[in-house]
Amino acid sequence: MPQERAHGRAQYRMTDDKDVLRDVWFGRIPTCFTLYQDEITEREAEPYYVSMTKLLLPRISYLTLVTDKVKKHFQKVMRQEEVSEIWFEYEGTPLKWHYPIGLLFDLHASNTALPWSITVHFKNFPEKDLLHCHSKDVIEAHFMACIKEADALKHKSQVINEMQKKDHKQLWMGLQNDKFEQFWAINRKLMEYPPEDNGFRYIPFRIYQHYGKTACSSLLDP
Amino acid sequence: MRTKKWAVERTRTIQGLVDFIKKFLKLMASEQLFIYVNQSFAPSPDQEVGTLYECFGSDGKLVLHYCKTQAWG
Repeated sequence: MPQERAHGRAQYRMTDDKDVLRDVWFGRIPTCFTLYQDEITEREAEPYYVSMTKLLLPRISYLTLVTDKVKKHFQKVMRQEEVSEIWFEYEGTPLKWHYPIGLLFDLHASNTALPWSITVHFKNFPEKDLLHCHSKDVIEAHFMACIKEADALKHKSQVINEMQKKDHKQLWMGLQNDKFEQFWAINRKLMEYPPEDNGFRYIPFRIYQHYGKTACSSLLDP
Repeated sequence: MRTKKWAVERTRTIQGLVDFIKKFLKLMASEQLFIYVNQSFAPSPDQEVGTLYECFGSDGKLVLHYCKTQAWG
């Protein structure tokens, strides 16, 4: 997000606008998960409702990070030998877990009524469409790679490289455990620039198109 | 790798590069290979080389480092 320099000494910083940051962080999508009907089960599997009063899907998180309970719920009704890596699909389209949940919703389901209905699969993993996600470490590695890629554009990687490993860990734990303050204590350093500079070196952003090729990262010279 | 400079089509993904390098270096499919940009981050396997070049290329080329173990990630 571009930042404008106010007149005089006062300088607007994105991190000053905490209301917006909190709104973005706490965005939620009510979701219903249903097991794919062709997957053989020992007994009927009830759909798992992620309702407004319980656990909503955080827009800023990743599907495989927030669906442990969903996985456990459906694995209970499946035969052990039938279960392999979980994957999600909406209206026939495999959902890329490495895209943030909010992005997936906006791309695929923004025009449909809530709750968002996602189908759960444990078989026939679509190798051509999805990356594997065998553990939380894979999600963490992907998340940190995105942070590093963005900082390469914002600060020539200086800020992220000067941080200690524990700071990187705090960033990840903040996201994983939904801790706004913990996350932003570190992220604010990545969202600031020295007063003598006029802004970030470049502003990283990605545009996702629904049909045809997906992402294209871009450079924006402030 | 003796040949260090390659012409790669823009739409080739990082995963495509990994598969190619593994075959070229005669690595086993089960062996891991990591690719880094700017010696600072590992791009997602589905990212296209063309996009990375636009953001991180210079002097008409994109410099990537490969490693069998995690280096900068």
